[in-house]
Amino acid sequence: MPDSPPAAGGPAAPVLSPTPAQLSDWGLDPTWSRRVVIDGSDGRPVDWHVLDTGPGPAGTLVCVHGNPSWGYVWRDLLTTLSPAWRVIAVDQTGMGWSERGRPRRLADRVTELVAFCRQEVEGPLVLAAHDWGGPIAVGASGPLQAEALVLGNTAVAKPDDVAVPPLIAVARRLVDLVCRRTPTFVEGTARMTAREHRDALRAPYRTPERREAVRDFVADIPVGPGDPSYAALQACAAVLDERQVPTLLLWGGRDPVFHDRFLADLRSRIPGADVERFAGAAHLVTLDAPVGPVVARWLADQRGRSVTDPAGDTDPAAPFSSVLDSLATRRHDTSLAYDGPDGTLSWTDLDSRSSQGARTLQLAGLRPGDRVSLLVPPSCELLVAAGAVWKAGGVPVVADASAGVRQLRRLLRAAAPKFVVGTRVTVGLSAALRFAPGATRVVVGPAPGTRLPGVAALEPEGPAGAEFVPVPLRATDVAAIVHTSGATGPAKAVRYTHGALAAQRDVVGPLFDMRQGDAFTTSFGPFMLLAPSLQMTCVRPDFPVERPSALGFDELLAATARATVTVAWLSPASARRIVATAHGRTAPIALVMLAGAPIPPDLVAGVRAVTVGDVRTPWGMTECLPVTDGTEPEANGPSGGNSTGRPVPGCSVVVTSLDDPADPVPGDAWGELLVRAPWMFDGYDAAWTADADTWVDVGGCRYHRTGDVGYVHGGLVFHLGRRTHVLDTAGGPLASVAVEEPVRTAVARSVAAVGIGPAGAQVVCLVVDGPDGLEVAGADLRAVVRASAPVAVAAVLVGRLPVDRRHESKIDRTALAVDAGRLLAGR
Amino acid sequence: MKVLVTGGSSLLGSAVARQLLARGDAVTCFQRRPSDTGAADVLGDVRDGDAVRSATEGHDAVVHLAALVAPRPAWADAYAVNVVGTGHVVDAAVSCGRLVHVSSPSVAFDDRPAVGAGAGEARYAGDDAYTHTKALAERLVLRRSSVPTVVLRPHLVWGPGDTQLIGRIVERARQGRLALPDHGRSLVDTTYVDDAAAAVVAGLDRTADTDEAWGCPWVVTGDDPRPLVELVEGILRAAGLDEAIRSVPAPVASVVGRLVGRMWPGDEPPLTHFAARQLSVAHWFDQRASQRVLRWRPEVDVDEGLGRLAAWYAAR
Repeated sequence: MPDSPPAAGGPAAPVLSPTPAQLSDWGLDPTWSRRVVIDGSDGRPVDWHVLDTGPGPAGTLVCVHGNPSWGYVWRDLLTTLSPAWRVIAVDQTGMGWSERGRPRRLADRVTELVAFCRQEVEGPLVLAAHDWGGPIAVGASGPLQAEALVLGNTAVAKPDDVAVPPLIAVARRLVDLVCRRTPTFVEGTARMTAREHRDALRAPYRTPERREAVRDFVADIPVGPGDPSYAALQACAAVLDERQVPTLLLWGGRDPVFHDRFLADLRSRIPGADVERFAGAAHLVTLDAPVGPVVARWLADQRGRSVTDPAGDTDPAAPFSSVLDSLATRRHDTSLAYDGPDGTLSWTDLDSRSSQGARTLQLAGLRPGDRVSLLVPPSCELLVAAGAVWKAGGVPVVADASAGVRQLRRLLRAAAPKFVVGTRVTVGLSAALRFAPGATRVVVGPAPGTRLPGVAALEPEGPAGAEFVPVPLRATDVAAIVHTSGATGPAKAVRYTHGALAAQRDVVGPLFDMRQGDAFTTSFGPFMLLAPSLQMTCVRPDFPVERPSALGFDELLAATARATVTVAWLSPASARRIVATAHGRTAPIALVMLAGAPIPPDLVAGVRAVTVGDVRTPWGMTECLPVTDGTEPEANGPSGGNSTGRPVPGCSVVVTSLDDPADPVPGDAWGELLVRAPWMFDGYDAAWTADADTWVDVGGCRYHRTGDVGYVHGGLVFHLGRRTHVLDTAGGPLASVAVEEPVRTAVARSVAAVGIGPAGAQVVCLVVDGPDGLEVAGADLRAVVRASAPVAVAAVLVGRLPVDRRHESKIDRTALAVDAGRLLAGR
Repeated sequence: MKVLVTGGSSLLGSAVARQLLARGDAVTCFQRRPSDTGAADVLGDVRDGDAVRSATEGHDAVVHLAALVAPRPAWADAYAVNVVGTGHVVDAAVSCGRLVHVSSPSVAFDDRPAVGAGAGEARYAGDDAYTHTKALAERLVLRRSSVPTVVLRPHLVWGPGDTQLIGRIVERARQGRLALPDHGRSLVDTTYVDDAAAAVVAGLDRTADTDEAWGCPWVVTGDDPRPLVELVEGILRAAGLDEAIRSVPAPVASVVGRLVGRMWPGDEPPLTHFAARQLSVAHWFDQRASQRVLRWRPEVDVDEGLGRLAAWYAAR
């Protein structure tokens, strides 16, 4: 990069405009294209091209492209937001169809954007930007007093521990060759998105003369204090220190340049930012993803928010006892905190080892709020690692190994952890598969002689240091990122605060007789993290946790023999296996909790027969656990379904209309179940739309839509399956479980009810579990099914029912409906 | 009310005539053979425009069911009866002021499955002369009729005494020649004859009181779709037969139907391409609009209908 301003190469290229035919081909309204002369940063007028949709009552959105692109990248916003909004997508000086031969640096571009907006825009202004348009828009947002920001994959600064993206590094070194003389950079960018966009992206940059600004733009990217625009970039970023406005980050998850660590950096600079992450979109996120409807809804939501902002549930200053405080109270106790096939861990060891780990993480650069991916199977090391992260103020990202490698990769990349803590195998795999680009890797345990380069040991050998003082935690601090199973849609990242975790601990203990000093066991890996905060011993049965159906009676009995196990939390798959392998024996467990609804009554009875105490089926979900206490599992209600017990004290359950989630249904009618509790999650991470969909205001309180349907009768909450599995028939909606239950009893096999046909006119198809692919059932089975079904049945099929991986019990009725529909449609 | 019913000797036509008589209407049946319904018969042919006109005189409404139904009719015959004949009825109906035209859902068949479908446009123009001419007839009615007109498309009308659908299935099974494409899995709507007749009577009443029902076709069915194999098994059981139903892959049935349909020397080829396609894909319909507009609902589901069919066979 030369120190003098980038030189103009030869005579300036003439001003060109796109033709109406071109614009139509590119899906743009030709009338939007116009030319505007503004005051240039060099004191002379400069001729800009803009796409301008014309007046809109809501306000004006000015969109700033990056390099090398132009206003076309905002096509979806232009078409979706107008006519409510006026949308103007500018082409910056030397870029797109604007005037050539006028070299510009970052500060010039900020000045010109301000000049443009002051000249052309009246009334409320929102700035949208992408790529290197980001710092320009952020820098201009201060002087322009922009109301809000919408940013695509961009950066206002390079995080210190992240290397210059290789593509940019190469482009900088060979800048004239790559960016001007050859169309390599333009072509490379165009090829990052779908074919349909490429002609439009290439069109303004066909000749070297027209690509001068593309080169100058790359050359001007400051990466260090010696670069001319370094101070200007810092000035842009500083705007965010002084002025925070509502901000929406639209993020493509497959961008090799601005990857998720840049997203994490932006989020740390704009803590209140809403994030919508599109896992499948790459760098040109505004072209790759349907961003228009998201932005339209978000902008509308910002307007409404000033009136009905739901007050936060937790006072950040209120004193509370965190999960770490539970650990601290037992740090001199030499009894066991964990007992499993990999060894045992005393409370004292858990405390001292996690302190050492915390010190390691802190020395390696962990700051409060940083995310740490825990790729540790349930073991002593998992408890130590989780304790270490919490003590250092970090946020564990807990991923369930049963999700599978592909899913795991997707989830971890979205979480963008700054650290990965795992075993040597999982850390190595995460590096090889690029689970977390740029993350610092740490291996659990002392790891002597580790040969992995750039990998630290969580508990390096050597003299124990001075006592570690854990970072003070507030109730509103983010405590963990966990994930939904993905059994009922793509897995979502769920954010918990420390206040919620503490509230969960405080309610679960007394409710389920989980007393300090007793032991509990579980088939759910993530549940093992619950034991230390309850000050209970966690006994891990000897089975692969990613296969719950491998936990049989013998493994359960062996676990109970190791400690006074009073409580077991089991998945239906484990429970079935335990019942099947008991052979007349009973296990001395006082309370068995079956989780992962729906739990059929015969399974409850089976478990009751092989244990000595109570069996409960509490209802809860990743987002809120528990919701109900699981008492009276065999109770019957007027609309069928499974009883999940009474709402846990402190938890509120409301039933609302399928048509309007904010409208409670009368009496014990069924509808969607909404819940609210002090221990529920804080929100979905980097998924603004999912978040906006899930929170509903009922009677002035913020409720979570569970996506489950059911009803409340006699104080008991009855579960009727998933909302997405409701059959939408001409006679009205039917809950899948209500249709299935009587049939399942009659045929003594698993049964799934699915709706076939268009919404509102679906017919009922019942599928009885069988060994093979789907086929029409024989006459005898058909007769039994029809005689027991509570509604008219169009088709009775037999075939394998698709179930989820985590619980091996949730039937994917959505996929089944597609298969059954295809079979019954013929060919 | 005085009603002229054309095609009164058919399964549906005679049921309509009986239901109208039962509620006290004066009914005249117009067709080539006596209707045996108890109504006054005027024997004639819809191809004869004068005959149609004179038969219509003095009536308040016409219900037009007459059509040439055959597996493979000659085009000229099908056109003369189904299109020209319908034109005569439409013209004659001007004198009495109200018309119900009975069409068929197959006029909208486009080779694709109909899954919870609406009526669709009568665009069929394939090899099947009956369906093609019925499509032309429906379009003619909708375009040319100048009086309040209700067009109904009952789907697969069946019941005791049916010689078309049930008669053929039973006949095939007795000969050991019954096969269905792809195990007969496709979901198919049917209409029990009494329900179809009630829908026609409802359509006749709607010509008098709601213009919402005029000017577009309404599919009517028993609203109880079943996989084809279930229906066929049920019919065989009702007829006291215990024959096995063979399966042919749907694409094979389609190709064989095309060859046999063209090369078969007689009038009744065992399979045509059109029939093979009709049997290979789903045919069931969203009945919400039809039931609301016609103010009619079916009362006989498939199981009840099969029971009545079994009783009829047992009594024979």
